[in-house]
Amino acid sequence: MKFIKNLSARQKWGYLFVFPWIIYFSVFLLYPILLSFKNSFLDINLLNPANASFVGFGNWLEIAGDFLFWRSMFNIIYNQLIFIIISFIIGLSFALLLNEVKSGGAVFRTIYFLPVITSITVAMIIFDFLSGPQGPVQSLLINLGILDKGIFWRFSKWLPMPILAVFNSWKWFGVQTIIFLGGLNSINPRLYEAADVDGAGWFKKLFSITIPLLKPQIVFVITINIINGLKMFTEVYMNFDLYGGPHHAGLTPVMYLYAKGFDKMMMGDAATIGVFLAAIIYILTMIELKLFNSNAEDGV
Amino acid sequence: MAGINMANKKQEINTLNVRMKKRRRVKQILVYGLLIVGAFFVMYPFIFMVMNSFKTGPEIMHHPNSLPDEISLRGYIGVFQSLNVFRLFLNTTFVATSVTIMSTIFSAMVAYGIIKTDIPGKKILFRIILGSLMIPEVILLVPRYMMMYTWEWINTYRVLIIPVAISAYNVFLLMQFMRQLEDSFLEAARIDGANEWQIFWKIAIPMSKPALSTVAILTFMGSWNDFLRPLLYIRDESLMTLQLALFQFKEAVPGQNLEQIWAATTMIAIPVVIIYLLLQKNFVKAFTGISLK
Repeated sequence: MKFIKNLSARQKWGYLFVFPWIIYFSVFLLYPILLSFKNSFLDINLLNPANASFVGFGNWLEIAGDFLFWRSMFNIIYNQLIFIIISFIIGLSFALLLNEVKSGGAVFRTIYFLPVITSITVAMIIFDFLSGPQGPVQSLLINLGILDKGIFWRFSKWLPMPILAVFNSWKWFGVQTIIFLGGLNSINPRLYEAADVDGAGWFKKLFSITIPLLKPQIVFVITINIINGLKMFTEVYMNFDLYGGPHHAGLTPVMYLYAKGFDKMMMGDAATIGVFLAAIIYILTMIELKLFNSNAEDGV
Repeated sequence: MAGINMANKKQEINTLNVRMKKRRRVKQILVYGLLIVGAFFVMYPFIFMVMNSFKTGPEIMHHPNSLPDEISLRGYIGVFQSLNVFRLFLNTTFVATSVTIMSTIFSAMVAYGIIKTDIPGKKILFRIILGSLMIPEVILLVPRYMMMYTWEWINTYRVLIIPVAISAYNVFLLMQFMRQLEDSFLEAARIDGANEWQIFWKIAIPMSKPALSTVAILTFMGSWNDFLRPLLYIRDESLMTLQLALFQFKEAVPGQNLEQIWAATTMIAIPVVIIYLLLQKNFVKAFTGISLK
């Protein structure tokens, strides 16, 4: 009581202002996280939570030995490796190109950003038709003699993840282009002039000036990509059954969590996958912050 | 002798200049050429979508890449017959607008409270918000569903609105911005006898417009394009949002009515594209944190 009495009117208002956060944090963040940890030690069915039984580390051991879970982890890493490489090359290339033009750059930037604001649902429906065995892309490849016959890539063992990586590169490279362009704008042009005097070629300048000076942006983009990539769901949900198709080639960790929780109703297993993934994402975020704080000044 | 030398040099410099200019022009043409190729790859799927929405099913199958023989509205008519398009737009707009308004105002309030009102414990609150930024959403998926299930919030609008009515990321962005607001403005108003809410609403909010627009755009787009949450929580067609309805529609439409898929996709994609084109600088800044001239 004394505490409240000692507060100024401004501070009393201050507590009113932060009140929504306190409610939100306790009800929608803290409580569910605790529940998640608790559930990861229970055998619990959504429809019958009263009958939950304690299984210790049973769920954890089960997930650790679960082929499908590791297959989903493999898939997402496989996907991300390809996605990060392709989108980095495309994103940086278009940033370099845009950096060269004096007029019209804004028009191109606007166009390159279109896929970013389009929903995954819309983009995936178009992509689905374009990439299908009768779609224009495969027809073109057949006409050029690169393919013998149409491919049902969803049923293939290895193709789904690279193809989704191409889709995501198309969808997201615009963000990277703008971030890299922002970085390029801040590079002192004198550095390039000095390199010109030394007779450095285009590639030499790219690898000894541009890329080193873009390091903060590059680190930022790659870590954000990994963190977002681990959450992939809609892209695979729209293309495969809940277990990722005949070879599980389209299974991602979040979809496996969804399948465990909402198809099999095994909330304990699903919670365990959630906690496990969260731990990985958390560690990656920490690494990102560590890497980033050293460059806080030129951070994005 | 010297004169000839000079003249030679001048000529040399001249030809060098011409050559450099030529090289520069060739380079510019090459750069624009590549930019146009890129633009084509980005635009092609959209053009393809709009073009095919005006064809009939068989024409889409046989000539997907050509312009429509004649403009057919069968796709659009079909969509309006089998989907309550108006209702879907209304639902999605209602949900996304509510989330945006609530999240923007609540997040701004919290940011202001921590940065500008000097409350005991503000440092702890700041750290909690920073920590919350790092909470991956996957860990919340199952427990939140169980909460919503026991609260009987499944299949309501509020399940799509309340759990996202404030966000750590928005609070964080606004805190970063409000830190730069001059305290002297606020102090002057305080001396004039304004209470803290008036200062917040009449001074801090108008001065934070750039950050508020970023927060509003990101929140609105996030909610508008959300697929997972409606998928988890919404069962009734009358409550459905566009993205979920589009997905289910696509799964259900028989092959011979292909044009309906394209019409539905176009109708859902185009309004967002138009809003984006109107506000594109704000959009780009919201998504990348960078404002380019």
